[in-house]
Amino acid sequence: MSAQAQEDALGKAYDARLVRRLAAYARPHRGLIVLSVVLLFAGSAASLTQPWLIQQAIDGYIATGTATGLAVPALLFLATLIVELVFSVLQVWTLEKTGQNVIFDLRHALVSHLQGLPSAFFDRTPVGRLMTRLTSDIESLNEAITSGLILILADAIKLAGIVVILLWMDWRLALVTFAVLPPILVLTWLVRLRVREAYRGIRAAVARLNSFLQENVAGMRIVQLFSRESAHFDEFRELNQDHLRAQLLGVRYESIFSAVAELMGSVTLAAIVWAGGVRRLDDAVTFGTLVAFIEYAGRFFRPVQELSQRYTIMQAAMASAERIFGLLDTRSTIFSPVEPVRLLSRPRGEIAFENVTFGYREDLMVLHDVSFRIAAGERIAVVGWTGSGKSTLIRLLARLYDVQNGRITLDRVDIREYALPDLRRSIGVVLQEPFLFAGTVAENLTLGDPRVQPATARAAAQAVGADRFIERLPGGFEATVHERGSNFSVGEKQLLSFARAIAFDPAVLVLDEATSSVDPETERKLEAALEKTLEGRTAILIAHRLTTVRTADRILVLHQGRLVELGSHEELLRMERGVYRALHHLQDPISAADRNYKS
Amino acid sequence: MMARFWRFARPYRGTFVSGFVFLALTNALAAGIPWLLRGAINGMERRVGVTALMAYAAAMIGLALAQAWVRTLSRLRILGASRRVAFDIRNRYFGHLQRLGASYYDRHRTGDIMSRGINDVQILQTFYGPGVLNFANTLIAYTVVLTLLIRIDPWLTAVALALLPFLGLGVNLLSRRVYLRSLGVQEQLARLSARAQENLSGIQQVKIYAQEEREIASFRGLSDDYRRHNLALAWDRGLMVAVIGAFTGAGTLLVLWIGGSHVIEGRIRFGDFVAFNAYLGQLAFPTVALGWTINLFQRGAGALTRIHEVLDTEPDVPSPLDEPSPNDLPIDGDIEIRDLHFAFGGTESDARGPYPLRGLNLQIPRGSRVAIVGPVGSGKSTLVNLLARVYPVPPGTIHIGKIDITEIPVGQLRQSIGYVPQEAFLFSRTLRDNIALGRPDAADHEIARAVDLARLTGDVDAFPEGLETLVGERGFTLSGGQRQRATLARAALRDPRILILDDSLSSVDADTERAILDALERDLGDRTCILISHRPSTLAGFKRIVVLDHGRVVEDGTHEELLERNGVYARLFQQRRIEEQLGQS
Repeated sequence: MSAQAQEDALGKAYDARLVRRLAAYARPHRGLIVLSVVLLFAGSAASLTQPWLIQQAIDGYIATGTATGLAVPALLFLATLIVELVFSVLQVWTLEKTGQNVIFDLRHALVSHLQGLPSAFFDRTPVGRLMTRLTSDIESLNEAITSGLILILADAIKLAGIVVILLWMDWRLALVTFAVLPPILVLTWLVRLRVREAYRGIRAAVARLNSFLQENVAGMRIVQLFSRESAHFDEFRELNQDHLRAQLLGVRYESIFSAVAELMGSVTLAAIVWAGGVRRLDDAVTFGTLVAFIEYAGRFFRPVQELSQRYTIMQAAMASAERIFGLLDTRSTIFSPVEPVRLLSRPRGEIAFENVTFGYREDLMVLHDVSFRIAAGERIAVVGWTGSGKSTLIRLLARLYDVQNGRITLDRVDIREYALPDLRRSIGVVLQEPFLFAGTVAENLTLGDPRVQPATARAAAQAVGADRFIERLPGGFEATVHERGSNFSVGEKQLLSFARAIAFDPAVLVLDEATSSVDPETERKLEAALEKTLEGRTAILIAHRLTTVRTADRILVLHQGRLVELGSHEELLRMERGVYRALHHLQDPISAADRNYKS
Repeated sequence: MMARFWRFARPYRGTFVSGFVFLALTNALAAGIPWLLRGAINGMERRVGVTALMAYAAAMIGLALAQAWVRTLSRLRILGASRRVAFDIRNRYFGHLQRLGASYYDRHRTGDIMSRGINDVQILQTFYGPGVLNFANTLIAYTVVLTLLIRIDPWLTAVALALLPFLGLGVNLLSRRVYLRSLGVQEQLARLSARAQENLSGIQQVKIYAQEEREIASFRGLSDDYRRHNLALAWDRGLMVAVIGAFTGAGTLLVLWIGGSHVIEGRIRFGDFVAFNAYLGQLAFPTVALGWTINLFQRGAGALTRIHEVLDTEPDVPSPLDEPSPNDLPIDGDIEIRDLHFAFGGTESDARGPYPLRGLNLQIPRGSRVAIVGPVGSGKSTLVNLLARVYPVPPGTIHIGKIDITEIPVGQLRQSIGYVPQEAFLFSRTLRDNIALGRPDAADHEIARAVDLARLTGDVDAFPEGLETLVGERGFTLSGGQRQRATLARAALRDPRILILDDSLSSVDADTERAILDALERDLGDRTCILISHRPSTLAGFKRIVVLDHGRVVEDGTHEELLERNGVYARLFQQRRIEEQLGQS
């Protein structure tokens, strides 16, 4: 099944295996469930007593002309009404509370589970799909609890109750009344199916329309710069037209459904009038019975009409449960060992790659048998063409991925033997694509970690020269950062994530082409600041620009996933036909200036 | 406000009116059924024959069928018209969004614009559909049913009517609360989703900074808020159902007690009693609907206001949609800028607009290659954006081909400019469609040439379906460099007179960039090329370098001249030079 088909699939309405797993989440709240069921039955019982009280009032007083005592059934009616209503409010609330508690736990379980899944999982799973698990799939389970399973049972018992009461009151009239039901039920069911299908069509059309709108709003500048306004308007109009068509289809079946539901009531009424009237003429039934029949029949329709809707809810819920448990069953491949080696709060920062081989896909290796050693406090630059595997080295070091062969050590211990948080806290990485969290600038620097003092964060921002633009922001360090830092330029984001790394004071600092969008002047300041911040730390620098590289103690040159050169700047420059030498010549600004573009 | 509501409904007034007629007919037919019930029961008391009863039952079914038919028609008309009204509103909304310039989008968040286009239009659709339908239905039902109730028992009617205002008011208050609470729930859900989205897309950072526990705790807090909001909503929803139930129940009780006494006293007959109860039941839903529609009217007014806030915003740059179609007169690539000031008007939110320009002067002759450099906030991006009139340009400040650009039709101006923005934006369609965005009619060989120029050919061949690969948010994920090169190919394909690269090769590695610039150099001929870059090696390759600072041109010259001048530009290079000498010693 394709991914999309899997998203749309409706499951069976009941799957014992899934229900058992769901029940595990419901068990802690069984008190609420029991309370809710009790309230439900008591409320239903009160509601079902009402037509019988009406019958008593009619046959005992109204039809016989006895005025005294009519208050008794009337007050009893009032009592049942109060019980019914109060219980129904409480019942709706307890059931909702059950549902909310269950999905709260489930959501927490999902989010916690997701945090532990390895990067490789996120590489192959679109974020949108995970969002569906966390929102609509979970909501559909809530619906199954609040308006699905328990209410189906309650409705079934209520219906059975009505059937029994009607048969007991007058079985002949009851059978005639029931005889009208099947054809009408079939009719409503059929229309309902069409309604459901039409709604599905509407949802799909809405989704297309909205994503088109979203994309065009986000990319409006491009649309305008390329003068695509009228073409995109035509596309929008067409999607809107499709949406209208789907809507009109929905309106058609919805209108028919509402009419059929009403028809159902009137036809039953006619049946009772005819069959009941004939029996009344024979004095086989009382007027009270006739009126009670009409009342009971009225109470019969709602649950019957809602049954098909509840059935759909259950189907959707089972499909959602299947997907949610599927996600929860996904095992993490990267986790802390049971008995981790304790890492010093301030590791020395000695790093070694020993015969490391790795590929994101089993069949496509990115690093081949890479070995090198970085002494504590040493500064290493990694250079190489795009795709040579530079960034991969870092991801392996932070254990976002595990090596396929060989091992990586920090302070002479395999990094897989440390607890993951310890390992990652001792390595500060500034990634190529900077990322800011929604919140404030200050929160982005401290990440809410109590060990990072506000003063430390400010000092870090100052050290990288980010204070200059932070102070210009409304609110300074308290300025709002939108989701993904969308209100900051790439260069600003890079500076902030740089400051964040420094604020955490890591033993090993890794910069992955971290300043590609920073202007030269700021970068120059940054480099000066770097001198200070790198003191006493092991540093790994990956850079497009070779100026930064020259300050490194040693330079490591990667080419097509292999370590090809390793040495100081001077040593590497002396290598005839070396990769570094070639790279260096290409980027040298002075020699490039000799080949000015003609104008 | 009524006039505004009416404006969108006007084209469908005929449909609405015929819908109301059918609605009146439905109510008349529906009122006939309890009347027949009354006749049948009174007949039973009089001991009429079986045939008479059958006639009553048959008449009831006949009325019911006719009612079902007319009812369907009334809903089809009115609900159908509401869908068409929403269709029109959506088209107008999107059409107007296309006319608004970049300054609007700098000030307003995408989420807000989307919410108006989706939620507010949805509210209006509900207003024009079920809202109008139920409002009209309530008026009609009351007129018809009340007439009949009074005919049966005026006293009982008066007592029963005393209940109705309570129901209407109760439903109105509660439905407003339910609405506000569900807005709260929606808001919580949006926060929860935004948080999850951020967490999942930034999962690498979360891992690297070992922030998992904090993320889980923060999500748990939001999740708990969401649960609380949902429970409060459930409470009000339950109350709402109870209020409606209380009304119908109380009605039955009144009829039973007071109506029953009236039967006993002989003031009405038993059939009247049963019919009265049935009629009272028919009023329950219209009364509930009235409370709901009043509330809906308030929400609809809010939605309409929000939509009009957008529709009434005047574009600050004329839109090509409102101009005669551009002629093909090519614009000369000469650019002259005189004393250009630009400031982004007062910010409504914390969204940040372009940096200001303060009296910028610059001349760029046709066919030249100019690199622009300067610190963050110096106005580089603002300058090139103004060339394409993305923001409003004061008249007389920018001339292209000796013509004031405010006098050039915007469509024509933009057709002559190839602008490659800093953040590469691709639409969720095929790579070919993305590249051919500005020229959908481009031939294969032209696209191939543009792709080649952007050094993207090798990458395209490696994509699963080559040029036909679906890219963008819901498609194949391209690397930052690939995205930038694709947007370059897009701009190049238009064969613009002026090509602008706004730091748009930052994710492309140095050797590829060099190859691209060399290829551009060969291809551009007498076209003008402006490039913003931070890379020294790139800058040094340009014959003319313009240095901006604080919204002004502070230096202008060749690489060597600027170095000799020992100013801002030289400072940028000083350190590198020293390193260079150290490296060679």
